[in-house]
Amino acid sequence: MKNLKKYLLLSAVSLAFVSCSSDDDAPVANNVTLSFKNTFGDTEIVLGGATSSTASVNTSDAGQVHRFSELKYVISNIRLVKADGTEVPYNVNDLDKGATVVNHANPSTLNYVMSNIPTGEYKQIKLGLGVRSDLNTLDQTRFPNFYATAGANDTEMMWEWGTGYRFTKIEGFYDTDNKQMSIHTGSTVEGSEGSYTQGVDAYRNIVLDLPQNAVVGSKAPKINIKADFDKLLSGAYNTITLSTGTGMGDNATPNIHTAVQMVKFVDNIGGNGTTDNKGMFSVLNVEN
Amino acid sequence: MKVFLKILPILFLLVSCSNDDYEPLYTNNPELSINIPVGFPQVNNSFYTNKPTKYGVALGEKLFHEKRFSADNTISCASCHIQSSAFADNNVQAIGIEGRIGLRNTPPIQNLAFMRFYNWDGSKLSLENQPIVPIITHEEMDSSILEVIGKIQNDAAYKELFQKTFGDENITPERIYRSIAQYEYTLISDNSKYDKVKRNEATFTENEMQGYQVFQQKCASCHSTELFTDQSFRNIGFPINTNSNEAGRARVTGNMDEYMSFRVPSLRNVEYTAPYGSFGQFTTLKDVLDYFDNGVIEADNLDPVFKNNGNRIPLTEQEKEHLISFMKTLSDVEFTGH
Repeated sequence: MKNLKKYLLLSAVSLAFVSCSSDDDAPVANNVTLSFKNTFGDTEIVLGGATSSTASVNTSDAGQVHRFSELKYVISNIRLVKADGTEVPYNVNDLDKGATVVNHANPSTLNYVMSNIPTGEYKQIKLGLGVRSDLNTLDQTRFPNFYATAGANDTEMMWEWGTGYRFTKIEGFYDTDNKQMSIHTGSTVEGSEGSYTQGVDAYRNIVLDLPQNAVVGSKAPKINIKADFDKLLSGAYNTITLSTGTGMGDNATPNIHTAVQMVKFVDNIGGNGTTDNKGMFSVLNVEN
Repeated sequence: MKVFLKILPILFLLVSCSNDDYEPLYTNNPELSINIPVGFPQVNNSFYTNKPTKYGVALGEKLFHEKRFSADNTISCASCHIQSSAFADNNVQAIGIEGRIGLRNTPPIQNLAFMRFYNWDGSKLSLENQPIVPIITHEEMDSSILEVIGKIQNDAAYKELFQKTFGDENITPERIYRSIAQYEYTLISDNSKYDKVKRNEATFTENEMQGYQVFQQKCASCHSTELFTDQSFRNIGFPINTNSNEAGRARVTGNMDEYMSFRVPSLRNVEYTAPYGSFGQFTTLKDVLDYFDNGVIEADNLDPVFKNNGNRIPLTEQEKEHLISFMKTLSDVEFTGH
């Protein structure tokens, strides 16, 4: 009986202790912000038209100068990996809550705040460039908010004929005479995952190790992610020379709104999907 | 009896569970019997999971003619898919709301139950997946499925038809797509003079017969089967659409060998579907035949039929005349209401 009392007392004390510590120090969850830095190399991109004097001008490995007037891409299927290897998915099956259109012209879209991430240390982030095929159906009933965002006039991230979203939309100019370039990517697959009967899957899974652990708890860390669009034309797989015309090899415009030339650009910026899971992405640092 | 009554709710529960992933067939909505014409290819697999029903087809037909599908309520499916043109139209390229010009020539809606690919590039493999595309495309209806549902959901006629088709008044995107597909499955053209000749109910004229012979010799390798298409995708060197969204079949597959390749068109009711070509390059059938005769545009992936024959199909003027006579025997006056 005496022992039982002891135990009860001990339990009460430890309970009090537990509740004290969780109240004061570490909440069970906090936000994590993904901050996207869109660059040519180390320089943050400034958008601009053909005559803009402020637009960032980049030179490709093939020697072509180019500039962007519009730069957008979809990020979805975000997963954070804890130091012990546990994967924490962030609304990966809900485009309304777990996907975003990064639009370089709209600064508020460059910071994506993920809420309610469980307290802990994270060593790696995985994310999708584009939308997984099983969710890429323009289902307005299921994801009305993402559908509205993607379809908005200043976003235009729908690929109607393929009944899916555009994964990237890049408009700009190239060569010294400022020819138009217009590069859109998206999936055209039909059928179900693993047994596609036709088409091209432009979705890419990106896996990035964090240079230091992101510590979620009393503080809400920020992960600074670089998207280096120099890779678009000068990637690990394809050194692309842009050309304009109606032949099947032309890739700047036209023919770039189709699956024909698209995969080369996708592999450069999103990796080839097998041996390379980084493409143009890297983590600059983590602000804890 | 008492025991039966007790387990009855449980049975219902079981049934509704197992029915979760497809529309239960509403018992007062009988399946229509569809006559599969002799010699036609097998029906598309999707047909079996969405067989036409009495009210499903009626609902699909009403939806097909529903102008509230478009953002400004001016255009329905039937605005471009006109019965007298074999459910195509006679514009060079499709015209959407506010006169917006689409990428391609409107395809006829006929015998789709027997097709494996839809659209000129075969981008869709089942009809149920197609209706959303014109609804949301800027150059077509420029709306969204929830906008459409919002406009029609309080319409008593629709409430009744959804009730009769599906057992309740709920209007869902899926139900809209499936009803339209059911209606389209019933649009079968198999009563042309050609069909009657095949059934020994009519005979070809001398010219038609001559044309049929030329056809079998010079056309039937692609325009094969009773649909008059082998449903393959071929680059036959037609003038190229320079729109940046056009790459033919390669737009879908990314396969360079299919660049500017299009599905071989059915020739049924071809008399009514001018102009011809993926973006209406040719005004008349004679123009098409002249083009074949004169020679087509060279391409790396030009179809062997042309590549191996000096990029042309040589035809005498008389052969062209006969071919046109024959092609007109594929006109189905009953189907098109002529």
